[in-house]
Amino acid sequence: MKKVPRYIKDIFITLGILILSFLISLLFQQAFAVREHIVAIFVFAVFLISLLTDGYFYGIAAAFIATLAVNYAFTFPYFSLNFTIPVNFISAIIMVTLAVLTSTLTTKVKRNEAMKTETEKERMRANLLRAVSHDLRTPLTTIYGSAATLLENRKNLNEEQQTKILVGIKEDSEWLVRMVENLLSITRIDSGKVKISKTPTVLEELIDSVILKFNKRYPDREISLDIPEEIVVIPMDAILIEQVIINLLENAVQHAAGMTELSLKVFTLGKQAIFEIKDNGSGILPERLPHLFTGYFASADAVADGARHNTGIGLSVCATIIKAHDGEISAENLKSGGAVFRFALWTEETDHDQQ
Amino acid sequence: MTNNKYKILLVEDEANIRALVTTILESAGYQVIAAATCAASMTLYASHRPDLILLDLGLPDKDGLYLLKKVREDSLTPILVLSARSNERDKVEALDLGANDYITKPFGSAELLARVRTALRLHRYSSREGRLPGGKFQLGELVIDYDARQVLIAGKEIKLTQTEYNIVAFLSEHRGKMMTYSAIIKAIWGASDEGSIKKLQVNMANIRKKFGAVPGKTWYIQNELGVGYRMNGDRE
Repeated sequence: MKKVPRYIKDIFITLGILILSFLISLLFQQAFAVREHIVAIFVFAVFLISLLTDGYFYGIAAAFIATLAVNYAFTFPYFSLNFTIPVNFISAIIMVTLAVLTSTLTTKVKRNEAMKTETEKERMRANLLRAVSHDLRTPLTTIYGSAATLLENRKNLNEEQQTKILVGIKEDSEWLVRMVENLLSITRIDSGKVKISKTPTVLEELIDSVILKFNKRYPDREISLDIPEEIVVIPMDAILIEQVIINLLENAVQHAAGMTELSLKVFTLGKQAIFEIKDNGSGILPERLPHLFTGYFASADAVADGARHNTGIGLSVCATIIKAHDGEISAENLKSGGAVFRFALWTEETDHDQQ
Repeated sequence: MTNNKYKILLVEDEANIRALVTTILESAGYQVIAAATCAASMTLYASHRPDLILLDLGLPDKDGLYLLKKVREDSLTPILVLSARSNERDKVEALDLGANDYITKPFGSAELLARVRTALRLHRYSSREGRLPGGKFQLGELVIDYDARQVLIAGKEIKLTQTEYNIVAFLSEHRGKMMTYSAIIKAIWGASDEGSIKKLQVNMANIRKKFGAVPGKTWYIQNELGVGYRMNGDRE
């Protein structure tokens, strides 16, 4: 479906409401011979038009048309224009004023909303940056320290100690790689506000790629898979969606304490594909649930216990990516224990993409 | 010993990565000549005629693709591209220009050496035996009989349509090499139109089903999202 230009929509709204009110007024006058409400009907029409259209133009135009209509059709002498009636001037002034006031108000509200989303974005970016800087420093410290130790002190270390240090370097670098992948994903969305480029992706190939990568990092972790038999093609930025699924799986591995089962299920529902990542671990702390996707909740306690808390970043990256796809993401705890993360993507191009 | 070593030209501008890759390759018995710029690598290529080129695309003086094009003008020397994760477009371009494969940074030494071995072995294989008009292809339990246009797994015939067979045969003829969507489409259907990728994806889905492939388990054909497909060089 092609998106209708704004001004055509506005003209339709204006004409539609005017014609409707004209017909209602006509009905009142002809059928019930009631004239008292006619001005009120048109005032309401002008108010609605100013509210629903963009800018001042349509409201004011509607006010003039309405005045003329009332003058022409519903004021004595009926069906002729007469500019000598003072009452008519008063209603004209009222209607124009109403149109201007309503339009001013709507424009202001719209502008405020735009500003609010902009601030929200700005805030998220700042949070992310702070979190990242903090999270980068820890592994870098280890890597730097370990390498320096090996260089300066190798002779005093036995083989086992050396291996231990090297393993630490490797683990921390792997962690850094993941972090950078997440950051790259974000820049892929944010750079220049260009819309993400979606290509039709076969679900099975996506899942294949995800599982291969996941198994490379966690060779011992079994994932039970459940995806549709038939071929499902979803328009998406595959690299980014891959990142989302890997983040969610990884999140379960790192944070769902006591987990024994991890499952990935995909099914179609209407025009959406629903992805479900479920575990039977410890679940999500209730106080964290509302902030899970919005920012970096854990940065404060990360310092305190020294543990890794890249969930904040991982999950807000997920949310950003899904939002950029016009999809939805949510998380909840299961009654049977554990947590489920769900996100939905459109299986067909939405109107939104074709702008 | 020194003379029959494989010679590898490494083109990489990051000194640390260059040192690391050189160490990995040398400790595995290869002879490495390294260059940091496109210009230097051109000279080294002309004077040494290496057996394989490891190429990083982001070079300070010129795009690595330039070297790729130059080399492909007169030789089939295997070229492996070292690339970052996020730009599939670069990968596709390099592959379409004749690169044999790419290795995504960061990589481990085992992965690097496996790719180098495969590329060298396949090159030797194809240059010695050439592409026979008939014959058989074998990889693990998979056998493709080019004369009979038959595909067998563990001795059992897999019933493929014409197009499906053509795709599998095409990938097997270029085994070990990542083939981009457009390269496959050109080989199978000739011209490409808007629906080509969809057609290819549907055919691949059917092939997977007939081969009994399970997502996440390696089988004979590897898929790379947004890039293409690759018949594995050996049991990888």
